[in-house]
Amino acid sequence: MSGILTRIKDKLKSYRVPGYRTKFDYKWTMVVDLDRCSGCEACVVACYAENNLPVVGKRDCDVSRRFSWIRIERYVEGEYPDVKVKFIPIMCQHCDTAPCEIGCPVYATYHNQDGLNVQVYNRCVGTFTCATYCTYDVRRFNWFTYKWDAPLEQQLNPDVTVREMGVMEKCTFCIQRIRVAKDTAKDEGRKVTDGDMQTACMQSCPTDAITFGDMNDPNSKVSKLAKSPRRYRLLEELDTDPSVIYLKRVMDDKKGSGNGHGSSHG
Amino acid sequence: MKNLIIYIITAVIFVVTLGVGYLIADQYLGRAPEQPINFSHRIHAGDNEIPCMYCHSYAERARVSGVPNVQRCMGCHKIIKTDSPEIQKVAGYWDRKEPIPWIKVHNLPDHVVFPHKRHVKAGRKCQECHGPVETMDVVKRIAPLKMGWCLKCHGKYDVKNGRECWTCHT
Repeated sequence: MSGILTRIKDKLKSYRVPGYRTKFDYKWTMVVDLDRCSGCEACVVACYAENNLPVVGKRDCDVSRRFSWIRIERYVEGEYPDVKVKFIPIMCQHCDTAPCEIGCPVYATYHNQDGLNVQVYNRCVGTFTCATYCTYDVRRFNWFTYKWDAPLEQQLNPDVTVREMGVMEKCTFCIQRIRVAKDTAKDEGRKVTDGDMQTACMQSCPTDAITFGDMNDPNSKVSKLAKSPRRYRLLEELDTDPSVIYLKRVMDDKKGSGNGHGSSHG
Repeated sequence: MKNLIIYIITAVIFVVTLGVGYLIADQYLGRAPEQPINFSHRIHAGDNEIPCMYCHSYAERARVSGVPNVQRCMGCHKIIKTDSPEIQKVAGYWDRKEPIPWIKVHNLPDHVVFPHKRHVKAGRKCQECHGPVETMDVVKRIAPLKMGWCLKCHGKYDVKNGRECWTCHT
């Protein structure tokens, strides 16, 4: 059994760009500090604005055709006086061994040299396989060609394509901003460092819960944050090797908040 | 009689195909639309040897090369050849404070990012894509501007990540 798994893994790796992670410059990574996340959904709004996501309306939301590339999952634990609410923003995890990449019959989703899992819209024929294979339910399908009402098409981001019916799409880690940052860095003859670019969700986050950067650079903010003991990745046991790292929310485990600390030790 | 109808139908299909082909060809290869002002690149860039980037000044620092504004035209033509009827048309736009509605000859689809800056800084000549503009009276598109045509160069020269989809596509 383990032999087969190893063989599958080797095969997956052979599909990748050769020399990935050593030959190329960047490994884009996002760190989400759940201790800071207040669940305000500013990132969701920013993502809609940045990436030309259509607002599909109530009817389509009811049949789970909502379009947010990033969503906030809410977990409520406990009964009323002792309620704990946890929020987890979930976007495309840009897995290194991505399940979606195996499924695509037309090679529309693949891993690029920066460690990004990217979707080529022009290749996509809409078989929905990648969304079925996706472990995190982050892929969104264009069921219709969505239209923007009269003044709203003026706010569309010119750097991002407006997708049409029958195309799968997902979070790109704001690749258009990465491209601009790389362009500027190339002019100045250096590599992209922290502060050169922000993703839309990171930029809008009021509590700075989201950090984005290059994992290959040992001095970048994300590399330092990734060493935190609170670090974990979603469904890591499935061996998808995601590029999004979450920092666990540490909550006081006391029962009965009025009694002060240490009451749970009994 | 039956044969005649078949001949007529064949002829109509033939003419329609030719017409559609002509329209498509006009849109793409060899596209040379008539501009609002009979501007000659041959006189400016060829005979008078004005460098491309004197007018298309954004080519070396932005994604688009930029159509020069009317002020750039009037900078010279306030003095030079003011009696020509074409220059008076330009002066008319200047007086009315209107931009000249130039027609785009090289138009890329929206899902393609083509930074002029990167190509100019890599040492590519304008003429490699735009053809010998300095000999043209009316600018004509000589390149097909298709992806295969792009990749010809991206294969020939050592372009970093040059064959990667998301380098050019959004």
